[in-house]
Amino acid sequence: MAEPARAPAALRIGVDTGGTFTDVCLYDPATGALSVWKLSSTAHDPSEAIVAGIVQGLSGNGHAGADVAYVGHGTTVATNALIQGRLARAGMITTAGFRDVIEIRRQTRPALYDLQVEKPRPPASRDLRLEVPERIRFDGSVAAPLDADALRTAARRLREAGVDAVAICFLFAHLAPAHEQQALAILREELPDAFLCASHEVAPEYREYERFSTTTLNAALGPVMRFYLGRLAPRLRAAGITHAPHLTQSNGGVISSEAAARLPVRTVLSGPAAGVMGAIALGTVAGLPDIITFDMGGTSTDVSLINGGRAVMATEAEVHGHALKVSMLDIHTVGAGGGSIARVDAGGHLKVGPASAGADPGPVCYGLGNEEPTVTDANVVLGIQNPTHLLGGRMSIDRAAAERAIARLADRLGLDTMRTAQGILSVVTANMAKAIRVISVERGHDPRDYVLMAFGGAGPVHAARLARELEIRRVLVPRSPGILCAMGLLLTDLRTDFAAGRMVPLAPASLPGLGDGFAALQAQAESWFEGEHIAPADRATARRADMRYEGQAHELTIACPDGALDDVALASLRQGFEEAHRQVYGYIAPEEPIRIVALRLEATGCVPKAALPVHPPATTPVADAHIGTREAWLPEAGGAVACALYDRAGLGPGHRIPGPAIVEQMDSTTLILPGQSALVDPWLNLLVEEDAA
Amino acid sequence: MTARLDPITVEVIGSALSTIVEQMGKAIIRAAYSANIKERRDCSAAIFDPEGRVIAQAEQIPFHLGSLLGITTETLKRVDPAGIAPGDVFIGNDAHTGGGTHLNDIVFLEPVFIGGGIVAWVANLAHHTDFVDRGHAHIFQEGLRIPPIRLYRAGHLQQDVMDLVLLNCQVPHERVNDFRAQMAANRLGVQRVEALHARYGSAVMRQAGAMLLDYSERKARAGIAAIPDGRYVFRHAFDTSLWPELLELAVAVEVQGEAITFDFTGCPPQNRTGMNMVLTALQAIVYYVVKTLIDADTPANSGFHRAVRIVAPPGTVVNALPPAAVYSRHEVAQRLADMMLSALAQAIPDRVIAASTGITVMTTSGMHPRTGRFYAYNESMGGGMGARAAKDGLDGVHMHLTNSANIPVEALESEYPLMVEAYELVQDSGGPGRFRGGMAIRRKVAAVDHDATVNLGGPNNIVPAWGLDGGLPGGLAHIELAEGMPALRQRNGVIGAGQWAAAVTSGGGGYGDPRLRDRDLVRRDLREERISPRAARKIYGLEE
Repeated sequence: MAEPARAPAALRIGVDTGGTFTDVCLYDPATGALSVWKLSSTAHDPSEAIVAGIVQGLSGNGHAGADVAYVGHGTTVATNALIQGRLARAGMITTAGFRDVIEIRRQTRPALYDLQVEKPRPPASRDLRLEVPERIRFDGSVAAPLDADALRTAARRLREAGVDAVAICFLFAHLAPAHEQQALAILREELPDAFLCASHEVAPEYREYERFSTTTLNAALGPVMRFYLGRLAPRLRAAGITHAPHLTQSNGGVISSEAAARLPVRTVLSGPAAGVMGAIALGTVAGLPDIITFDMGGTSTDVSLINGGRAVMATEAEVHGHALKVSMLDIHTVGAGGGSIARVDAGGHLKVGPASAGADPGPVCYGLGNEEPTVTDANVVLGIQNPTHLLGGRMSIDRAAAERAIARLADRLGLDTMRTAQGILSVVTANMAKAIRVISVERGHDPRDYVLMAFGGAGPVHAARLARELEIRRVLVPRSPGILCAMGLLLTDLRTDFAAGRMVPLAPASLPGLGDGFAALQAQAESWFEGEHIAPADRATARRADMRYEGQAHELTIACPDGALDDVALASLRQGFEEAHRQVYGYIAPEEPIRIVALRLEATGCVPKAALPVHPPATTPVADAHIGTREAWLPEAGGAVACALYDRAGLGPGHRIPGPAIVEQMDSTTLILPGQSALVDPWLNLLVEEDAA
Repeated sequence: MTARLDPITVEVIGSALSTIVEQMGKAIIRAAYSANIKERRDCSAAIFDPEGRVIAQAEQIPFHLGSLLGITTETLKRVDPAGIAPGDVFIGNDAHTGGGTHLNDIVFLEPVFIGGGIVAWVANLAHHTDFVDRGHAHIFQEGLRIPPIRLYRAGHLQQDVMDLVLLNCQVPHERVNDFRAQMAANRLGVQRVEALHARYGSAVMRQAGAMLLDYSERKARAGIAAIPDGRYVFRHAFDTSLWPELLELAVAVEVQGEAITFDFTGCPPQNRTGMNMVLTALQAIVYYVVKTLIDADTPANSGFHRAVRIVAPPGTVVNALPPAAVYSRHEVAQRLADMMLSALAQAIPDRVIAASTGITVMTTSGMHPRTGRFYAYNESMGGGMGARAAKDGLDGVHMHLTNSANIPVEALESEYPLMVEAYELVQDSGGPGRFRGGMAIRRKVAAVDHDATVNLGGPNNIVPAWGLDGGLPGGLAHIELAEGMPALRQRNGVIGAGQWAAAVTSGGGGYGDPRLRDRDLVRRDLREERISPRAARKIYGLEE
């Protein structure tokens, strides 16, 4: 008996696992329908909630696993393993004389004045860091060959010690990987079951501590990621999904399961990176290419900068105290969230965070036992957040308890309760503004040129004030601020980056070498496209070069024009570098030689994406969404003021709301200040803007 | 006068000021040419009020506060304020007249003008690897002395001044490009401070500055009040790089309610080596120690200095007068910090640490065979942190007054004609104790294709870093030389092509009786070869 004919597999799924919730987004290109599931995360095995969510989503829409063409996944597996220290038992093989590089680090102590400070323990303990004779010089030449016998002896010691993973880290291997490759081959024979990686594959850039740290961390994460994917893949197959999941990496690109299993260290910012990619997609559709993302949750806030529709990359990154030399988005995190606790310190100043009441017990107003006032309590007391319930009525709020907690703080400050509550918001806003300055001003970008995109549960309620603090004139609040990360996975193309170290002067004689270098990167990109089944018409690449003055040690990344590497390209690179240098440092040094340090190529494979439907202009008056009035205490209005209250679900394109006003929706609250107005755009985003003076 | 500002506005402005100095510090590192700045981050930045008090300091190298403390006041002493114009940039480095603490730290200072008046000063300092291979009998031997003078007038470079400075530098090409980085940092600072004034108004800014100072003072006093009253004395004799005898230092710390006095009466007279320090350097050390005792997020400004009194007789190694040489002031500085903390061990044993490593400095110079130009390589090295009352000291770190980074081996060998043959922690160098002192570092450097002049300075070659509460001292520092190399004289010598010299730094002192150490930790240290089987048995009493 023949089955009824099915349409070819086409469904696309995005999954984001957070500490509290797992969000699943399902997109059907045939109908354009986008559906969303939210269910509790399963911390012991995140894949359980993921697959349960997918199965629910599919069956709820009358689909089967075989209909799924793509699963995109933002994961916190690597991050959590790092935070909680649940790393694999890893060994290290390194150049004789250098086993302590990852422990000495750069000799700096993490805090100047804290005599009780600790350094994080290296991913491989000292007894599992074994040295072998070999040495490569600064120019890539061999000073001493690899001693293969010593290596075999070391490998056997590691095997006897029961390691699950081994990192191979030799000096100057980023220039001349032959010894590391040789060592990999030998270790594969001696330790066939262990996870192996070498520094030239994981982080092929100079500075041994940063490269070795990244490589050993990759080794220690390898078995963890392998175990996780080893659980997820069969569960997905059992649900009838034959396509292996793709994972978001820390640079916002998407890699295959196999690549993530080989280079798990690239996924430590997987979760927040998915949100940034969602913000880019949303901004591109809405015609807003320059964005500062502001993702505020219960404990922390992640901020990043998007320039001309592209996320800015970090130049040096540290994650939980470990130096990581991998391409990552420049995402800056501060301990400022809705649950951040306010206190008065010994000098009589009000401090907020980084300690957080989290989601449990959470703010005082949740009534779950916390007595210390939080940012959310301040919002509730001031009348900005709903004083009786949250989550569309699923959770009741004890405003009186919040008020008592803030009054205690007010006594110590000698201020009244409302001023103290407002003070909590001012301090947390200053902390977040500082984080945004790190990723904007400090990198030479003026925040006033950007739109602030506010998401996460707590982003929209603080966005208006944060924008004013930074003199940003426009704020965008997506229709569903709580699930932007999961949606981001369905809104983006497949993307990956290739890089090659080069140390050449910016001069005509270097052109052939540069051309060859880019050609080699292009070839790598083509084979990646093949592996991802991207049709030639859907492939795109962009070239860039890391450049600096000869004597400097820190580079600026400059766009390189397409086409032949000729004198015109050379002039364009020089001009781009000088413009960037002047912007960041305020000067150029015309007589100083410029060097190219690395070549980069970004490959993008265009895939079917969830369309963000354009909604027709609202036909109902905005008054229909006006659900009441609430008195809120706003210093911008000189104190208590009646704020119009709107239901987000009732708002449509063209609706305009003058401030002061408050917009409520299931998972968030948006505050519009006096002197601002909000406009609903055709994609149902809320655009909050300063009124013309 | 406006109404008293609320503490929240003050906090917001304070946070903006500290962001500015951090950004200034990063700009220097990113734009600089010399390895000591771009890799080792041996630089700092600060903002002052018009009177020269520090309002915000980038927390990079605590010792640099000593140079920054003096520069503005010394400048104002010498220059008619009425003649200062926007875009004037002062440079200075002289310890005795320029507000510096040694000549390698060159400061750039620039006023911020609003409405025709100076509302603030921005300054930054970088340690320039230059003036190498020198004598240190008096300051005239140590390099070019620069009092605060204008390098720029109203935005215009004074080329004659620049030429004079560069002619006195051994590596002028690096200097001029490092100076550009320092200019970039100040320009950033001036623009950002101007923007803050434009936003809040200068009256609010002035008041916020004053309140930030008051706030720091309150926090410092609260911290000091938590220390039991009393007079705590510590004396210690230690060996330096250059002075032929042990140098016996003395400190008395007197705590009375919310005030603290550090009295250095009894320290020896200044001497004809670089082991002396000027008063601002001593202040930086004392303020560092006070900051470790109070709430760590107290803003780094002059306010908390008011709670602190310093007694230091002029003409001694801790308050030297012209023409004392001062290059190696850090050797005495590290010991003084250890001594102040150990004195306080009598009052607050749980909050202080045992003595830590000093600073070991390796300098090599010569003609670079690949460039044909003179090069100078300089790197200070850390070692073991003193053990804490309830945990081990950190292994292989820079301590107390410095926190510079190492030069990566891969950067060092690409830039200098040198090859690093080992860079490792030293077994049995951590002072044994119930909690073990941190381990020392060994760095072995060979000269490639040239003869390198070498200087290897540092203390703890004879007297180790001491332990507390029955903890034993850390391992001694020493120098290792390739076979056949002549011994160093006054720490100076030559590494012939293909030969090597190694600096072994000192370990931190232990805390508590080593026989009381957790057996699992002893076994772990043994397994990880941090201690030898012999030490495990004989010192820790491990039986198995």
